[in-house]
Amino acid sequence: MRDFLELSVSAAASGCVYGLVALAYLLMIRPTGIVNFAVGELAMLAAFGGYVTHSLMQLSYPAGLAAVLLVMLGVGWLTERIAVRPLLERGAPILAPILALLGMLVIFRESISLTFSPDPYPVPYAFGFGRLELGPLSGSYQSFFIIATTLAVFAGAWFFFERTVAGKCFEAVALNRRAAALMGINLARVTTLAFAAGAGAAGLAGILVGANISAHYLMGVPLAIQGFTALVIGGVGRVEGALLGGLLLAFAEQLTVRYAPIAAGYAQAVPFLFLMIFLLVRPTGLLQAKRVA
Amino acid sequence: MKISSKLIAGLACALAVALFPAHAQETVKIGVITDKVGPAKPYAEPITQGIEVGAAEINAKGGVLGRKIELMIEDDQGKPDVSATMARKLVDSGAVFILSVSLTPATQQAQTVSLATKTPQMTPSNSGDTLTTQIDNPYFWQTGPLGSIQIATLLSYAGTKNYKRAALVSDNSDLGQLLARFFRSGLEKADIQVVSEELISRGATSAEPQMQKVRAANPDVLVSAGVLTAENVLMLKAYRQLGLKMPLLASYNFSVPVYMSVAKGLLDGVTFVDAYDPAKPEVKAFEATYKRVTGKDPFNLHGYGYDGMRLVADAIQRAGAVDKEKIKAAIQATDFAGVMGAKGMKYRFPAGKRTGFDPNGMVVRVYEGDRQGRVVHVGQGKPQ
Amino acid sequence: MKLLGRGLAAALLLSGFAFLLSAYYNDVYRKLLLWATLALSYNFLFGVCGQVAFSHFTFYGIGAYAVVILLVQLGLPLPLAIAGGVALCALVALVVAIPSTRLEGFYLGLATLALAQLFIVILNEGGALTGGTGGLANYRLPKVFGVEVTGPRYTVVIVLLLLGTFAILWRLDRSWFGRACRAVRDNPETAAAMGVDVVRIKVIVFTLTSALAGIAGMVYAFVDNTVNPPIFGLDNAFLLLFMVIVGGAGRHAGAILGAVLLYLLPFMLSPVIGHHHALVFGILVLGAILLQPRGLIGIYDALRRRFA
Repeated sequence: MRDFLELSVSAAASGCVYGLVALAYLLMIRPTGIVNFAVGELAMLAAFGGYVTHSLMQLSYPAGLAAVLLVMLGVGWLTERIAVRPLLERGAPILAPILALLGMLVIFRESISLTFSPDPYPVPYAFGFGRLELGPLSGSYQSFFIIATTLAVFAGAWFFFERTVAGKCFEAVALNRRAAALMGINLARVTTLAFAAGAGAAGLAGILVGANISAHYLMGVPLAIQGFTALVIGGVGRVEGALLGGLLLAFAEQLTVRYAPIAAGYAQAVPFLFLMIFLLVRPTGLLQAKRVA
Repeated sequence: MKISSKLIAGLACALAVALFPAHAQETVKIGVITDKVGPAKPYAEPITQGIEVGAAEINAKGGVLGRKIELMIEDDQGKPDVSATMARKLVDSGAVFILSVSLTPATQQAQTVSLATKTPQMTPSNSGDTLTTQIDNPYFWQTGPLGSIQIATLLSYAGTKNYKRAALVSDNSDLGQLLARFFRSGLEKADIQVVSEELISRGATSAEPQMQKVRAANPDVLVSAGVLTAENVLMLKAYRQLGLKMPLLASYNFSVPVYMSVAKGLLDGVTFVDAYDPAKPEVKAFEATYKRVTGKDPFNLHGYGYDGMRLVADAIQRAGAVDKEKIKAAIQATDFAGVMGAKGMKYRFPAGKRTGFDPNGMVVRVYEGDRQGRVVHVGQGKPQ
Repeated sequence: MKLLGRGLAAALLLSGFAFLLSAYYNDVYRKLLLWATLALSYNFLFGVCGQVAFSHFTFYGIGAYAVVILLVQLGLPLPLAIAGGVALCALVALVVAIPSTRLEGFYLGLATLALAQLFIVILNEGGALTGGTGGLANYRLPKVFGVEVTGPRYTVVIVLLLLGTFAILWRLDRSWFGRACRAVRDNPETAAAMGVDVVRIKVIVFTLTSALAGIAGMVYAFVDNTVNPPIFGLDNAFLLLFMVIVGGAGRHAGAILGAVLLYLLPFMLSPVIGHHHALVFGILVLGAILLQPRGLIGIYDALRRRFA
C-alpha cells in the first residue's frame, strides 16, 4: 500500500507533465485545427533554457523559470508568424502548416544539437533533490512542485475559458472560425495568443520534467507522442480533458510496470494496447465538449 | 641537328614523371562510418575525433608504408540501412578498411557489404557480443569491450561480497537489450539469482515504478546494463529518491564523463567498469598528444577511436602492401598495446576469433564524490 | 495498349539504368525506388483518401519479417512464403481497419501510432523468432529458376514492384473508386449522401495500401539480407509523411518527387555541409512549404502553366 501511494505521487507528476503537453496541443488545435507536433521540441527548448539560466547565467530558480517562460511565449509567437500565419492567410490546405511545423521541429532539434553537445544537460530542480512526506504520500520535492504548478495552470486555463470574455472568444473561434470572424473577433490575435500560450505550456512541461529526464536533443519526440496520446484520451473539447488524459496515461504506464505480473519487456506494450482499445471503445475521448443548446 | 638542351630537360622530366609517379598523391584510404545526427552521436562524435587525431599523428610521422592516410568519413544518421549504403560508397571509393563507430545494428547491417566485397571492417567501440556471431563474416573484427567481459569483470570484483540475489536494470535500446542478455547469463553463471529484471523505456519520465519493484525484490546488488545516458540518470535519481541501499554495479556507459555534470551529487559509491586507466603511461601520452593536436582534453571515448586507427595502421604496416587479403591476415595476427584497457593489455585475436579486447583488460572504478575515482580492480583475476 | 507500351519502356529504362551504376549508386537507387513505392501507396491512403495513418512502415515491417520468418525459420518454399506474407499483411490490415473506420482524423492517426510502437515492442521481445533487437540476418534469397537474383538483377525486381504498385494505384485512382476516395477525403457526409459506402471504401483503401506496403517490405528484406527493428520505426513513418506532403499530397507524381528529393537530400547535403545537414534539411522543408503550400508538384504545375 505504501508503494502504491508513493507511486501515485510519481504517476501524478508524470501525468501532469503529459497534461501540460496535451494542453499545449489543445491550445493550438482548437482555434486553428492545426496539430503542432513540435510541442515536444518546444519542451526541449525550455529544458535547455533551464540549464542555461541556472548553470551558465547563475540565475535563481524563480528568475530562471520566469525568463524561460517569457522566451517560450516569444518562441510561440515567432513560430506562428513564420510557419502558420503566412500559410493561413494564403488559404493553404491544413496540411501545409502542419508540415511547416514539422520542419520547425527539425530546425529546433538540430539547432540545439549543434549548439550544445549531444550529451544530456542538467536542468535545475525547483527545491532541490529532497523527498517530502505528506501524510501517507511521499514523493520528491519536484513531483509535488509539478503537481501544484500544473493544477494552478489548469485552474487558470479553466477560469480563462469559462469565465472571461477573452476565453469565450477563443471558444467561439474554435467552434466556427468564420462565424467568429463575422462577429468581430480578431482571428489573427486569437491565433497568435494560442500559439504563444501553447508554447508556454509546452515550455513549462519541459523545464519541469527536464529536472528528472535531463535536457537532451532527443527528448522532444517521446514527449510529443505521450502528450498527443493524453490529448486523445481526454478529448479535445475541454481543457480539463488534457489533464485527465495525462493522468490516466501516466497511471496506466506506471502501475503496469510496478504491478503487472509480466516481464518488463512486455509491460512496455501495455500503454499502446490500452490506447488502441480505448480508441475503439471511446474514440471521442472521455470528456465531451460542452453542448451549446 | 642541334637538339635544344631545354628540350632534353623537358623530355627527361616527362620521362621521370611517367616512370616515377608522385607517391605523395597516393594515399591509403580508410573509411569511417559515423553518426552525426542520430542517437549514436554522443558516442560516435568523440570516437571519430579520436580516429582523426590518430590519423593526423600517423601522417605527421610519415604515414603508413610511406603513404598518407586519407580518412573518408561518412554519416549513416544512425540508420542501419544507410550504414550499408555508406559502406558500399566507401568500398567503391577505394577504401581498403572500414571503421564502424555508429550503432550496433548499423555496424551489423554494414557487414553485409564487408562480407560481399571482402573488405576488412572493424568496430573499435561497439560492445554487442553478437556482432561477430550473428553472421560468419571473416572480414569483420571487434575491439570494443564486450558485454560479457564487462559483467565478468564486475563480478570478479564483487567476488568476496558473496552476492546471492541481483536485480538487473536496462533500457529498450538495442545495445541495452543485448548487454542485459549477456549480463544476465554472466550473473547466472556466477550462481547469482536474478530476482528482478527491469526495463526503462527511452523517453520515460520516471523510473520510480521500476525501482520500487527492485526494492520489493530485495536484491543484494543492483546491476545496470543500460546505455542511454539520460535514462540511466533517471534510474539513478529514482534509486536515490527511494533510498535504495544495495550497491550499484554499472556497465561501461557510466564511465562517460558527462555523468559527473548531469548526475551531480548522486554518484558517490557507484561502481562501474571501464576500459580507461588514467594512471597508465599510454593514457597520459595520449592525453598530451590529443591536447597538442586539438587544444582540447580528451576522455575515454576518444581513446577507442585513437586505438582503432592505430591498430589498423599497424596491421597495414605489417601487411606490407595495401591489399585487402594481406591486411585481413595481418589484422588477425595483431598484437598491439593501445591506450585502452588495463596496464599491459594488448589487443589480440585468438585463433579463429575476431573479438580482440582482452577478457582481462577491463578495470573497475568507483565514483568518489562526483569524480571518477581510481581503479580498484583489474580484469577477472582474484580481487585485491 | 499505349499504356502497356509506355509501361514496358519505363521498365526497360529504369532497369537498364541499374546495370550502368556502380554498387554504391545501385544501392542508393534501389532504396530510393523502395521509398518511392512506399510514398505512392501512402499517398493514396493519405493524400487521395485523406486517412492519416502512421502504420505504413509497420506493414512494411510485417511483410519483411513475415517473408524471412516463413522462408528461413519455417523453411517454406519462396512462393509460399511470399503468399503467406501478403496474406498476413492483409489480415492484420483488415483487423486494424475495420474497427478504425469509426475513428476520425487524428484518432486514426493515434491508433496507428500506437500500433507502430506496439509492433516495435513485439519485434524487440520476439526472442528467437524475430531476432529481438538485433533482428534477423544471415539469410539469402534462394535461386529463382536456377538464377541467382542479386545485384542489378534484384534492382529489376524493385523496378517491377514500383511500376506494378503505380499501375494498380493509377488505375484505381482513375476509376469510380478514386473519385469515391476523394469524396470520402473531402466530405464524408456528402459522399455518404451520394451513395458512397464510406466505411467500405476506408477499409478497402487501408487494407490495399497496407498490403502494398507489405509487399514492398518483402522485397526490402533481400536488399541487405538484414531486417532489424530501427528501420520499421516511427522516424521513417514521419519521414514518409514529410515526403508525401512536400511532394504534393494527392498526386502520384508528387509522391515520387517528394520521395526522391527527401531521400537523396541528406546524401547530397552531407558531403557539402557536414554535420549541419539535418538543419539545412529542416530549413529547406520549411522553405519549400512556405513557398508552395501545395508541395513541389504545385511548383511544377505553376511552371507548366507559365510555359504552356
